[in-house]
Amino acid sequence: MDSFQGLLSGFQVALSFEGIMFVLIGVVVGTLIGMMPGLGPISAIAIMIPLTYGMNPAPALVMMAGVYYGAVFGGSTSSILLNAPGISGTVASSFDGYPMAQKGQAGKALAIAAISSFIGGTVSVLLLMLLAPALSSVAISFGPPAYFALMLMGLTAISSLSEGSTTKALISAVTGFMVVTIGIDPQTGTQRFTFGNVNLLDGFDFLIIALGLFAIAEVCMLVLNRKNRSLSDSQKLGSLKLSKADFKEMSGPVSRQSFVGFILGVLPGAGATIASFISYIFEKKLSKNPEEFGKGSIKGLAAPESSNNAATSGAFVPLLSLGIPGSGTTAVMLGAFLVLGVQPGPLLMADRPEIFWGIIASMYIGNVFLLVLNLPLIPYLAKILSIPRPLLISLVITFSLVGVYSISFNVFDLYMLLVFGIIGFLMRIYSFPAPPFILAFILGGMMEQSFRQSMTISNGNFNIFVCSPLPLTLLIIAFLSFSVPGILNWRRNRKNAKV
Amino acid sequence: MIKTMNQRIGLILFLLAAVYLILSYQLPSYPYTAVDADVIPKGLGWFLLVLSFFLYFSKAIETDAEKAKRAIPKKEVLVLASVFGMIFVYILFFELIGFVIMTAIFIFFSSWFLGYEKWKTNLAVSILFPVILYCIFVFALGIVLPKGILPI
Repeated sequence: MDSFQGLLSGFQVALSFEGIMFVLIGVVVGTLIGMMPGLGPISAIAIMIPLTYGMNPAPALVMMAGVYYGAVFGGSTSSILLNAPGISGTVASSFDGYPMAQKGQAGKALAIAAISSFIGGTVSVLLLMLLAPALSSVAISFGPPAYFALMLMGLTAISSLSEGSTTKALISAVTGFMVVTIGIDPQTGTQRFTFGNVNLLDGFDFLIIALGLFAIAEVCMLVLNRKNRSLSDSQKLGSLKLSKADFKEMSGPVSRQSFVGFILGVLPGAGATIASFISYIFEKKLSKNPEEFGKGSIKGLAAPESSNNAATSGAFVPLLSLGIPGSGTTAVMLGAFLVLGVQPGPLLMADRPEIFWGIIASMYIGNVFLLVLNLPLIPYLAKILSIPRPLLISLVITFSLVGVYSISFNVFDLYMLLVFGIIGFLMRIYSFPAPPFILAFILGGMMEQSFRQSMTISNGNFNIFVCSPLPLTLLIIAFLSFSVPGILNWRRNRKNAKV
Repeated sequence: MIKTMNQRIGLILFLLAAVYLILSYQLPSYPYTAVDADVIPKGLGWFLLVLSFFLYFSKAIETDAEKAKRAIPKKEVLVLASVFGMIFVYILFFELIGFVIMTAIFIFFSSWFLGYEKWKTNLAVSILFPVILYCIFVFALGIVLPKGILPI
């Protein structure tokens, strides 16, 4: 099946009544959860996973993808209106979005964000459609050593690109990997770190980790900030209309940053946050009036908004074609695939074309829905920001607990959710990034498997990782990605010490 | 010896890595395999041990923003602990008393505790939310939630 035919069959899925309904549910729920301060796409996806049990995989995954890009789309609303970004990917949007809102141009800022997001998202889906099948056909020849090296590279990349200290990010990744070793070893049947507890034999379900480290930990932060203002009824949004001059000003940054965002989304470890910051800085450097940035510049808002949405679709490239997530959010997305019994990877396009192409096709439709939803309806949707924090906190906690209970029907898992919630909160306040933890947890099992497969193939010889060019190159990149920042830091410290 | 927060955390992680390593070395071996079940855990344990050293001896000075992040007033710590306490009680009686009743009680009291004063709205949400959620899960998705002492 060539790409065109594939896309047509994808549109058949996405344009069926079921498809349209679930795309709509996905983007609306994603937008609403993404808008809430503190709650990002990881929590949104994790909270929605239990609702997909028993559903057909194609519409379920179309919905989950909608939740993901809907959450990124919606995240900008709280950045602009409250200066309280729902997710790190929209922090850069608050730099110019919030000053615009303070000037009484909130409506205009929301419209710019929606249009930039729409263009970024759509351009990026187009590129996803071209790149994912090509990468799939290359990846089909990858053996276990290449997969192991690829996953290791993903982990080191996310660790070195995480906010703050690389050591802390690596610690986060290693502990995430350690947690996944708990349970019965699938290859030998050995019980590892179970302490004779029957509940630990199967290890931890990823939903416990995702909801604990993200939703519950975010709730803790909400508890601490519960007195921050919610949106007041008196806050006026102003007109949503944009003038010709506004469109002209947006066009440059949006067209450039959609591509930048996509590329950064495809690369392991980067994702929406880094893409939005890089695009912001990029446009500021290019601008003739960089002093306007940070004071309500249209370019300063359009650039990160087009870029973070483009990165979201870009992140689907490695997920769909290699089966390897490059970020914390796509790691949880992979979990959603696995819950439904779908293994993404190079075989997905051939084995389950309706899912592969259905998701891609649904993204075009989802982006149109988001634009329609966000432009005229934004004043109504923004009302969700006026939900009192105490009530929001209680509801998110309940949702997380029910979600975990409905996968295992085991109260032990609920206690574990509580434990991981505390761990996630401690990680947050002591500045340990959580995305490397969840990525390592999701990739850990697969990494161990491909490592052991490689070693079995080579009869216990490590040369298998360095004798063929692909794994060797990937391993070198992996090594450089965490050693170079460390060496640079060390040199800088030494220079400073000398001065 | 232990002055900075990084040193304290480094020490805790060192202990964690040590315990994990001891347990890894106690894993039984299996004869017919190229890589046994203990190889990856041992590697991870040693790696964490090295990283904990790096953290302990790191010269990075905590930024003001990082300090502010972990400076939580005692009163707020108590509030957080109470919320966790409420979740604990909720889980404890989740199966015994049932989802709907426990959730309603939990939402009402935790929202009230966290400072939500409109008790009528609170009461309405705490009753409607679990009932609707229960109906979605049980009747639409076919996922059984504990009914506890309620007849349906």
